[in-house]
Amino acid sequence: MPNIYEHQGRVAVVTGGNGGIGGAIAKRLAAEGAVVHTLDVQPAGADGRFHALDIGDEASVNGVFDAIGAEHGAIDYLICCAGIYRPQPFLGLSLDAWRRTLQINLTGMFLCCRAALKYMAPRRFGRIVLFSSMAARTGGKNVAHYAASKGGILGLARALAVEATADNIRVNAISPVITDTPMPRAVVSEEYLLSRKEQIPLGRIGNVQDMVEACLFLLGDDSSYMTGQELRVNGGSTLW
Amino acid sequence: MVAAEHPRVTVITGGGSGLGQATAIRLARNSDQVCICDLKAEAVNSTAELIRSAGGSVLTGVVDVREQSQVNSWIAQVIDKFGKIDCLFSNAGVNARAMVTNMTLAQWSLVIDTHVTGTFNFCQAALRHMAPRNSGAIVITSSDFAIVGVANAANYCAAKTALYSLTKSLALEFAPHIRVNAIGPGPIDTPLLRANRTPEEFAAARRAFEARLPMKRLGKPEEVAAVVDFLLSDRASFITGQLIQPNGGQVMW
Repeated sequence: MPNIYEHQGRVAVVTGGNGGIGGAIAKRLAAEGAVVHTLDVQPAGADGRFHALDIGDEASVNGVFDAIGAEHGAIDYLICCAGIYRPQPFLGLSLDAWRRTLQINLTGMFLCCRAALKYMAPRRFGRIVLFSSMAARTGGKNVAHYAASKGGILGLARALAVEATADNIRVNAISPVITDTPMPRAVVSEEYLLSRKEQIPLGRIGNVQDMVEACLFLLGDDSSYMTGQELRVNGGSTLW
Repeated sequence: MVAAEHPRVTVITGGGSGLGQATAIRLARNSDQVCICDLKAEAVNSTAELIRSAGGSVLTGVVDVREQSQVNSWIAQVIDKFGKIDCLFSNAGVNARAMVTNMTLAQWSLVIDTHVTGTFNFCQAALRHMAPRNSGAIVITSSDFAIVGVANAANYCAAKTALYSLTKSLALEFAPHIRVNAIGPGPIDTPLLRANRTPEEFAAARRAFEARLPMKRLGKPEEVAAVVDFLLSDRASFITGQLIQPNGGQVMW
């Protein structure tokens, strides 16, 4: 069993904090006694402290992280869940749509990591979890931009893991398979969503609890010798 | 997947030292009924003593994992005593370093048979009891060397890659009720890492590892035990067929 007090008092920033996965992580961390700030584009409440912003906008990201860093004198955890999923056939994929997906999903994580590291490095402590996707490995129809952005996240996680380890900052990624959240429901039918379990050896699609447990494992001391890794929480759907 | 009834019965091979010992101690502390075996009686007894002195419950066995009859009869004892097996950590390992041109067939076979045939023997014996109950979790000790090679250890690399493949096959064969994952530890400060090295050679190897590893240090057995604990638990109930690498960043794919 992990140490039940290890998240107590940690200052955590969760992006995509109103989403299915981000929201559940924020709620769990708050329940474990962390000080949780959630970031999202949607102007709605969530557990902990809420900041509305465009995650792809440099000035906004820096402003929010500087405010959090100033308030607490620390940022211990960064969990990046913010992302958009807007499938488009490749020949119909506009440069604007391509850029928007890369801007939110990949550049947004770069900006948040850089802004958070500024507060982690001087205190020689930091734990970063970036949400990629199995699409980074498998690709898929109509998701060239999404798959490219998620592949980029794995590269970012590895490079940052190597660079930040000297400051006792660990960086790992989680790649979910299709998960029972509002995000896929915006673009696929309920029927299709549930039918995906046929291709998953464990016989179901993912749920937010699976991702919460994986994330807490990577934030906590149970993974103290892991950095630059990708945890594939996918029910066995892809074994590489 | 059916949740394990308390206490969970957990079988650990190579429980006399290193990763097996650290995992046995951790899981006993979680109040698992741990069953540990090792080739060496004194090793398995010293782990058992550590567990008992901390108030844990442990069954021991002296087993050569390569010998199917020994494996089956010890597993039969576990079943006699506790009636079930919830978790298996197949971890027994050995090393015999040599250049391929100098490697004897005995060196090759020792390493292949211990890791691969030993894990086959234990998985088969345990799964025969897990499958009818539609419940169980297995972790197999593979290695970063399943992904990248290393000189003078062709036997070890081949064995560890075979274990990763075995993990994937078993994961598919026994889904959805039983999960099977592998761990790929990096250099961990265990007796195996020190084996067949003089203190000077170990010190040199350690410096070489530390220079190369992003984390700049060897791992501790307890850091691997924590990952095994996670993978065997319901916290990892949607993870199967994967290689999880507590490796200090040595290999990132």
